Amino acid sequence: MADNTIIQQGYFTSDGTDAIISLRSDVDWIEVYNLTNIEGSTQWAGCTWKWYRGMKDDDAFTEFHAAASQATSVSTCSTGYNGATYRGITLFDSSDKTPGAAIAVTAGTDEVQPVYSTADTGKLVDGSIVRLSLTAQVDINGMDFTVDTVNTDTNFRLANALDNIPGIIAGANGYWRYIAPNADIYNMFHPKKRTIVAISQANPGIVTTSVDHLFETGQKVRLNIPSDCGMEQLSGQLVTVTRIDAGTFSIGVDTTGYDPFLFPEYDDAPFTHAEVIPIGEAAEYNHLIDDALENSAFIGLILGTSTDAAIALGSPGGTSGDKIYWRAGKSFSARTS
Amino acid sequence: MVTKVTEMVLNEAAKRLGVSLRQTEDQLTRDMLAATAGFINCTDGVNGDNPTEITRSDVDEVVRTLLSNDAYTIMDNIEGDDKFGTAPVRDAYFALCSTQLTGDLDNVSGFIQKNQYPAPMNALRSEWGAIGNLRFLVSSIGSVTELASNYGNDVYNIFCVGMEAYACIEQDGYSASFIYRPPIYDGPLALNASVGYKFAEVPRITNDLWVINLRATLD
Repeated sequence: MADNTIIQQGYFTSDGTDAIISLRSDVDWIEVYNLTNIEGSTQWAGCTWKWYRGMKDDDAFTEFHAAASQATSVSTCSTGYNGATYRGITLFDSSDKTPGAAIAVTAGTDEVQPVYSTADTGKLVDGSIVRLSLTAQVDINGMDFTVDTVNTDTNFRLANALDNIPGIIAGANGYWRYIAPNADIYNMFHPKKRTIVAISQANPGIVTTSVDHLFETGQKVRLNIPSDCGMEQLSGQLVTVTRIDAGTFSIGVDTTGYDPFLFPEYDDAPFTHAEVIPIGEAAEYNHLIDDALENSAFIGLILGTSTDAAIALGSPGGTSGDKIYWRAGKSFSARTS
Repeated sequence: MVTKVTEMVLNEAAKRLGVSLRQTEDQLTRDMLAATAGFINCTDGVNGDNPTEITRSDVDEVVRTLLSNDAYTIMDNIEGDDKFGTAPVRDAYFALCSTQLTGDLDNVSGFIQKNQYPAPMNALRSEWGAIGNLRFLVSSIGSVTELASNYGNDVYNIFCVGMEAYACIEQDGYSASFIYRPPIYDGPLALNASVGYKFAEVPRITNDLWVINLRATLD
């Protein structure tokens, strides 16, 4: 890549959530323009953001309307203005699976969708993936989960319902770690195996996974059900997925007469989790894994925003409906110390 | 003189890039196996975690499963010989894992170090030893899922594979290219040369029943 090269540009309409921009190569800078805010004159609205390699995560230089006019002032997202700090821009490598820092869980409910209290929800949004540890709900510890119903700096809930209640209220010595912004990025290879947290006794049986599965109708998967988890009749079976929603799919097998699935059993560790293994696509079963195991890792940038309207107004991810333009590039670095 | 220095730099770059290329291949294959292979947790250890440290019964379960799935072993047996301190080695599947596990492997019942093989010269450079029908190959870039145990410790993925359990498929008719562009072709002022590699291949599990990820924590 030659010096001072724009490697990509684009635009999108904000949906009010963090925007993840996948790039075709490594990147040294990005400039972001919120056309909606630039054309308007809303006080405290962010107009442009500039991020350069070497800046800290979730930061950027920003220009904003300091008054209800089109005149602009300059600050950084981390310094902020109007008494607030704003979300910024974060360089992101989806092949890096290093978990985030441990953040304390102060309590957790005993429900099939446990709610975990925490004073810091960090970058969590609905659909983010977390890993729980030492929450006292032993069988759940060490596992990854998709979360929903994120209440900023208050609590979050496991998005996909467990088969049973954990049987114990989570303790105050636990913690959670941020793993990925969503299931797409959680997968370096697609599709990926998933841990099963529930299988219904029904015709057809319905499987629920701890992390959104991303399987498509017609894909072939194998179910591995260790004896600790019950419903051993399904173990080793090859089934065809019929997608129901992000967290569940049906398997075309009548499980009505099978043993009940058991998860979690709070005092059963150590044990092996039940899992679903992607095998191949449906149309050509013998043509193994034709579309499976695609390496979907990428380098990109996260343009942060917030569910708090005042913060979203000054953040690069914007408010729902904002038209946002961006361009990113690669540069020759000099004197970076 | 300039030419000689250039060649020395190129030689060094070629050596380093060669290592980088093959290590990148290994990392991609490793990550594919970690993402997709079915797993069995070690459960018979005593460290209280889930998974536990590796034990003989965990190894036996993996071997039993691979045998039941009709996986072929990769290595032939090593016949016993009349040498002190040696022991015959069974025909074996490969177990690919991190160098961090070497201490725990030493402690597993029935572990045979490679210098105890009747013919140690036949052991692979990366081989650490054998337990039952598994021969362990260790690497500094062995697979680790960070902070993923019950107690929040690192979980080590030990990929136990039978013959032809996975493959690397070359794309576009080549596996790798080493590319050198002399300065005259690399910029208008002919100041800088470029050297690098590219490769296009995809790791694939060919039969999911012939590869098992045995997950373990450290003792």
